[in-house]
Amino acid sequence: MKFQIAKEAFLDGLQQVQHVVSSRTTLPILSNVLIEASDSGLRLTTTDLDVGVSGTAEAEVSKTGSTTLPVKRLVNIIRELPSAEVEVSVDSKNIASIKSGPSFFKIIGLPDTEFPPLADFQDAKEYQIPQNLLRDGLKKTSYAISTDETRYVLNGIFTSFKEGKLTLVATDGRRLAMVDNDLEFPASHETDFIIPTKAVQELQRLLNSEGDLTLRLSDNQVCFEIGSSIIVSKLIEGNYPNYRQVIPAETKERLTVGREALLETVRRVSLLSSEKSNSVKLSFGANELGVAANSPDIGEANESVEVKYDGKEFAIAFNPDFLQAPLRALDDENVHLDLIDEMSPGVLRTEDAFLYVLMPMRVTS
Amino acid sequence: MKNEQDGGRGKEKETSAAVDSAGTSIEVWEKVKIKLNEYLSADAFSRWFKSAELIEDDERGAAVIGVNSDMQQIWIETNYMDEVRAAFAEGAGIHTQAFIRVLGEEVAPSVKKVARGSASVSDQVKVVKQDEESPKTVALERKLKKMGINPEFNFESFVVGDNSQFAHAACSAVASGEGRSFNPLFIHGRAGLGKTHLMSSIAQQLLISEPKAKVVFLTAEQFANEFIDAVRKGNLDSFRKSYRTADIMLIDDIQFLAGKERTQDEFFHTFSGLLNTRTQLVLTCDRPAHEIQQLEPRLVSRFESGLTVELQTPGFETRVAILQRKMEQWNVVLEDEVIFHIANLIQSNVRRLEGALTRVASFSFLSSEEMTIAKVDDLLRDLIRDENSRQITIDAIQKAVCEQYDLSLADMSSRRRPASIAFPRQIAMALSRQLTNHSLVEIGEAFGRRDHGTVIHACKRVEQEIEVNTEVKAVVEKLIAVLQR
Repeated sequence: MKFQIAKEAFLDGLQQVQHVVSSRTTLPILSNVLIEASDSGLRLTTTDLDVGVSGTAEAEVSKTGSTTLPVKRLVNIIRELPSAEVEVSVDSKNIASIKSGPSFFKIIGLPDTEFPPLADFQDAKEYQIPQNLLRDGLKKTSYAISTDETRYVLNGIFTSFKEGKLTLVATDGRRLAMVDNDLEFPASHETDFIIPTKAVQELQRLLNSEGDLTLRLSDNQVCFEIGSSIIVSKLIEGNYPNYRQVIPAETKERLTVGREALLETVRRVSLLSSEKSNSVKLSFGANELGVAANSPDIGEANESVEVKYDGKEFAIAFNPDFLQAPLRALDDENVHLDLIDEMSPGVLRTEDAFLYVLMPMRVTS
Repeated sequence: MKNEQDGGRGKEKETSAAVDSAGTSIEVWEKVKIKLNEYLSADAFSRWFKSAELIEDDERGAAVIGVNSDMQQIWIETNYMDEVRAAFAEGAGIHTQAFIRVLGEEVAPSVKKVARGSASVSDQVKVVKQDEESPKTVALERKLKKMGINPEFNFESFVVGDNSQFAHAACSAVASGEGRSFNPLFIHGRAGLGKTHLMSSIAQQLLISEPKAKVVFLTAEQFANEFIDAVRKGNLDSFRKSYRTADIMLIDDIQFLAGKERTQDEFFHTFSGLLNTRTQLVLTCDRPAHEIQQLEPRLVSRFESGLTVELQTPGFETRVAILQRKMEQWNVVLEDEVIFHIANLIQSNVRRLEGALTRVASFSFLSSEEMTIAKVDDLLRDLIRDENSRQITIDAIQKAVCEQYDLSLADMSSRRRPASIAFPRQIAMALSRQLTNHSLVEIGEAFGRRDHGTVIHACKRVEQEIEVNTEVKAVVEKLIAVLQR
């Protein structure tokens, strides 16, 4: 195998796939990238057996073939090369020679036959999804994914294709984020499944704002085809809990506030919430929202924001990080905060189909 | 391990809850719910707690609250545990740790694949079901197993014969609490005669009559190991505490303490402490206390201060009765003739008797052949040979030693004492001491009416020689091997 490639193109291609490879792998082959050189260019593939990512890079292939090379080392080498052009040749013993300008590297690889193949998706259900729709949906929900491994069904995004809608849900037991979008797909394709966190992260890296992606679904695996790139992932087995139970049926008070103004205020005020209490207090008055934090041994901060509100006066406390996360992920101008009382969860909504349920903190006063 | 223990604890709790608080748990839950309703908003209460039920509660243990969906479990566990705890404390005056469990099948498919955390949940659920069938026996069995007691070892399954009547009666008295003056109860007897069986029976009987009694049941080896462990980790205090708070302490194979000075020392203090608080102690040993070598005299005298009972080898009738009991248990039928024959062949050891029966019974079960005496002999060939050779006599020892050193048998009992005769004679005495059950006096008698002090001296001398002289060591080992063949 032999090819010439632009340094930047090679680096881009490798960086697209290298995140899947973990530093501690059980099998040596899993720290390698599979490089397949054909007349159309290179295909680069990595996997950790749960999630696999594959992408392409343009190259001038003078001799086709394939091999696997340690990806982390390869990336470090390519990044440091002095010249913009790289020439790579691999002999039959999987030893790669990398030449670029005056420098020369030799690295030892493993045969491509050892590389675990990505799952096959023949006869799988197929869905077409606009990339920006999925990208925004993941962005607005993924921060709420639970990292508690004992509740592993929550370690991913619940994805449901039902009644002409694509619904994405993530929760960790204290908050729940949900996005609903209309999407066309055949009625026979109604289903739901859980995409694990790692695949969500890879997806977020690869998704663009234009064009469609193809999602293929088999029994326990899912595949995303984004342009020439592919992500294959196992699904989390198990039933996602009934998240609708968490969403308050009716709320009493509604407050409308500028998203960015609220985000910045909370960020500033939370500088004085201690790690121990870690809460900010929101107090509602007529068209005014006061945001306050105080820690007995540090000090206190408060700030008011102009809002639209004509309900009763009361106060509620939230974890400032949990309050900021959705505000950061959204791009709407205004958000609505629906509340019942200081002990019931608050619900953050936007004009379109986003919803965020957040448990209040207990205020000890 | 931890999970298992939790499971076990959960279980005790379940049974006792089923017995004594079935009527009150509904009231408790109602009180707790009223408190929860105060603490939480109406919406949260009706959403998460209205349909919840209290499955169990226990003043000392934990409360288990059953909910309908896994979302309820997740949400309550992450958000409302403080309120639940407070509601139990204020509403019902119970300070408890609460657990949330999902009722019904909804949880089954997802829980199965969860790692350890929730696996214990499904265990618990399973346990509850078992309990419903026969709460007491299952609970007891689990408890016994956890303590390392074979649940089959109880008084009912012990066949009482002349050889064991006294021991059995003493153990029953201790188990029923009448035998407070039999403290400590020291059971001794050779291997396979039922010492552990009797001791396990005491523990089991006690646990049936007083489920909450703190029974400590362990082998002397376990005691030594735990002691060493405690010394190494430096938590002797908790080690002491764990034993000195027992209601009854049963220790198997106490002879294991021989030669372990520090363990003996620790054991002595534990033992005296328990005796002073009139805690019942039961010990078993494969020989009488005073015959345990390298055991501190103060321990020996304490062991002998209570009641000492001996388990002897069972007589013919008892052996037949044991065989018949076993046949009933295993549901097999053998000719009386065959049973008598087995009982005749195997005399020394009940465990081996059972082994012989197993072999004969399974053979007759697997082949349709008629069981004959000849067949039995053939099947038990190796056991019979073993059985016969086990009875090592002083004569045999003298003969073997003479052969080894090329002496005449008369030299063994003569008064002559050149080193070439005297040392082999000492070896023979030491071997007699080690391999037979004869007393020092009897051994001295057999070696030309020598004094028992001579025998003791011989034993010490040989022991010393073995340590410094590898040749002597090799010869003695060879002789032992020859004699035991």
